[in-house]
Amino acid sequence: MFKKILFATTGTPSCDSAARVAFDMAKRYNAELVTINVFGVPSRSFSQTVTDIRTGDEVDLHDDRLEEIKNELEKTYVQLIKDYTPCETVVTVGIPHTEILRLARKKEIDLIVIGARTSAEENENSVNRHIVGRTLQSVARSARCPVLVIGRTAASFWGGISNIVFGTDFSKASDEAFKFAFNLAQTFNSSLHLFHAIDISADPFEITKNQEVIEDRIRDAREKIRSKYLSKMEGFNDYEIDVWEGIPYVEIVKYARESFADLIVMSHHTKKMDPEKAVLGSTVEQVVLRSNAPVISVNHPARQKKQ
Amino acid sequence: MYNFLTGPLAWFSFLVFFIGILIRSILYIKGLDSNLDRVTYKVNTSFGIKEAVRSIFYWLLPFATRGWRTQPLMTALFFIFHIGLLASTLFLKAHNMILQERWGFSIITIPDVVSDYLTIAVLAAALVLIIRRMALAQVRILTKPSDYLILLISIAPFLTGFLAFHQFGNYPFWMITHIISGELLLVVIPFTKLSHCFLFFFSRGQLGMDYGIKRGGMKRRKAMAW
Amino acid sequence: MSQNILCTQNPVNDKEALDALLKDKRGQQYYDEMTRLEVDTAALSKSLNDTCHSRIRTWLELCAHCGMCADACAFYLSNEKDPKQVPSYKIQSTLGEIVRRKGNVDNALMRYAMDVAWGKCTCCNRCGLYCPFGIDMGVMMSYLRGLLFSQGFVPWEMKIGSGMHRIFRAQMDVTVEDWVETCEWMEEEWEDDWPGLKIPVDKENADIMYTVNAREPKHYPEDIAEAAVLFSIAGENWTVPGEGWEETSLAMFAGDWEGSQLQAQSVYDAMDRLKPKRMIVTECGHAYRATVIEGPYWTGQKSGKTPIETLHYVEWVAEALRTGKLKIDPAKKIKEPVTLHDSCNYVRNGGLSQCGREIMSYIAEDFREMTPNGDHNFCCGGGGGMNGIGKYREERNTGQKVKRDQILATGAKLVITPCHNCWDAIRDLEEVYKIGIRWSFLKPLLLDMVIVPEHLKPKEE
Repeated sequence: MFKKILFATTGTPSCDSAARVAFDMAKRYNAELVTINVFGVPSRSFSQTVTDIRTGDEVDLHDDRLEEIKNELEKTYVQLIKDYTPCETVVTVGIPHTEILRLARKKEIDLIVIGARTSAEENENSVNRHIVGRTLQSVARSARCPVLVIGRTAASFWGGISNIVFGTDFSKASDEAFKFAFNLAQTFNSSLHLFHAIDISADPFEITKNQEVIEDRIRDAREKIRSKYLSKMEGFNDYEIDVWEGIPYVEIVKYARESFADLIVMSHHTKKMDPEKAVLGSTVEQVVLRSNAPVISVNHPARQKKQ
Repeated sequence: MYNFLTGPLAWFSFLVFFIGILIRSILYIKGLDSNLDRVTYKVNTSFGIKEAVRSIFYWLLPFATRGWRTQPLMTALFFIFHIGLLASTLFLKAHNMILQERWGFSIITIPDVVSDYLTIAVLAAALVLIIRRMALAQVRILTKPSDYLILLISIAPFLTGFLAFHQFGNYPFWMITHIISGELLLVVIPFTKLSHCFLFFFSRGQLGMDYGIKRGGMKRRKAMAW
Repeated sequence: MSQNILCTQNPVNDKEALDALLKDKRGQQYYDEMTRLEVDTAALSKSLNDTCHSRIRTWLELCAHCGMCADACAFYLSNEKDPKQVPSYKIQSTLGEIVRRKGNVDNALMRYAMDVAWGKCTCCNRCGLYCPFGIDMGVMMSYLRGLLFSQGFVPWEMKIGSGMHRIFRAQMDVTVEDWVETCEWMEEEWEDDWPGLKIPVDKENADIMYTVNAREPKHYPEDIAEAAVLFSIAGENWTVPGEGWEETSLAMFAGDWEGSQLQAQSVYDAMDRLKPKRMIVTECGHAYRATVIEGPYWTGQKSGKTPIETLHYVEWVAEALRTGKLKIDPAKKIKEPVTLHDSCNYVRNGGLSQCGREIMSYIAEDFREMTPNGDHNFCCGGGGGMNGIGKYREERNTGQKVKRDQILATGAKLVITPCHNCWDAIRDLEEVYKIGIRWSFLKPLLLDMVIVPEHLKPKEE
């Protein structure tokens, strides 16, 4: 299923869980692993200095430095990962999401594994926080392959997958996420939980206060799930359909916990966001922050491989 | 002595003055180079001429440019000094009488009392310019002794002329120093910064052409605010 | 004979020399060698004879030392009116001295001249507008940079930048392959949201040939995608050249006239090859200055103009809004107070001040002008290459105070900067002074408020 995995890391402990998952998966699926660290963002116009993402300091850019960082990074993971398998390590500078997406495209990557900041790291420097938030957002939105976002430490375990929660908002991107989730469920013989949350957070007229209206909507949504997805699941019976109301990310997290989800699959198709809001994050990021299960974001049809 | 000063020496000074101006003007224009200056003087010339004229015109009017408006004191000094200097010289009754005597023509004149006030204004402005030069750090750092010397050469004919006209002390002495200093002024103009009295038009005009031809002149939708 | 390896009079023409320079940390060795760089006084003197003619000589001689240029200079004002920042002083103590001594100057003077030419002046040309004689000290500073470059007295980053142009025909190591690859990538990445989005490379006889700043393929590829979307919405028949796509010129900042010529020529060659009706330059100020205003002279165009008509991006946007090619959704106009920074290179020196105003009239409800603005606007503080020169970082930061105060006085929190260099400078300004502003190019803002025709909307069932 995954032949080439790209692990995007800042090299800080916040990516440790993601690192475990990435190395573990690569081994399990006999996949090729590439690690990328975009350690500095260009600053000061065309000058040869960059801003170090981890420290916010201005540092010089030269080949020795890149080599140093590369060695350091490899050492970190040799120590962290129990049975470390050597992999290609790319250390570069640029706008992180641009470089991650550029490399994923160039290497025809099947899965990107990326760490997300957790509340424990809130006090990291602002450059880092800002960039990590934006990077996650942009990579998840634009990548042509599924993006596995690893947030909580507890979620770093990648064992068997018994329960997959697919959260949908019925968008086109969600269709792609469904295809992926279904494919995954078939491959791993897991149960597929098809879930939709009716958003009552933005409701100026308080229509959803009316229980009847809500129930109508829930009925409609269930019907929609049936027609949209069940029709494509011929012969697959291990599924459940649920529609709850509330604030979507809260409901998904609650639902995932109740269904003992090992993985949440959803789309992250928000077209564009104000960089400031992006730091707070979209539904996907909120779910990543709160859920114990890893989240895979799928937005686009799998890219046609070059022959 | 007087005859020599107003005869051959006067001829000599005027000759140096006019020929100097002519040569320097020709050299200036000949030294312009479309490639080096990166201005196509000979292509789209009309755009250049138009902006050159506008540029000169606005800078000749008090407070007509942003530069003049932002520095009102300097602007006042500048115009009092230059207008006073030109008007009191060209329109002075005594100067025109000489013209009439020698050449049989004269231009308009102003009453002596006006000339008097203008001369005082020139001298006063010059004094403030000197004080300004010493007082302001941004001017002081630029100042060289020659700047004072040139200012003194420029106002010497006015001071001496004023003293001669009012017959302070020794009239013939002041008259002769007035003539000598006037002729000195004429002679040094082409060779010093005072050449700005004509090179101003070229230099200012060149920048006008630069903006008119190259730097947006053909794209500017609202005329350049000089 | 000097034993210099990195700091010599020779320009960087090959990858080996470039890499050697890049290896040098912050130019430590380079600047150290510079203290021992000999001045070729004979060559300098010859150069003065050949290239310093009546315009500059008259300017130098005529200066009345009146000091009226002082208040025109952003660096003078930002440095608490330090007399050493008076434009006239800056040029008289450097170029003036070199000319007076007929090129017979020493290493110390040349290094001082370098510190002034790149560390105290951004060649914004504002002082020229405040001199009664029309003495343009920015033009002279640029001429001085040329002399200094020819003698090897040029900041490390400028030497690298000029070398990049000579080797890659781009200010960064972006090859033609990288560039075309980036265009394809952006097409792929954006086509879901913008069905049928194309970035046509090397299409002949298009209406528009679009050229960019190397930073876009290198670091900000979405800028290219945004331009593509806006051209599509406007229904333009456009293309980008595979070769000759880079519009900028660090060679110009460096005073490397040969490199400048090579760079501009590469764009003109693309015009010749693709025969478009017009060329449009991305939101970059010095790119427009280099390729559209000065480029024709370096490459010997008799008309003084580019081979085909060229527009800056703001001209195209103004035109598209005026003709209705781009329509703004009134509900999405910018509501908050917003101000516009005029780039010296295409506003004062390119005559495009009205385009910015016209655009603002379409997109902003509360547009606040800076004072002064347009032809008289102050430099962002980072022009002329100063943004990227580590040696003069402090000078640049200090020099931005005037711009900072201008922005603060408008009360706007959003600054529109349709110029890469200014955009960078304003970003750094916020980093240094933390005044709580945001900054943006026009493209992303337009993309948020433009009315999208049905056929360009993604199909959602």
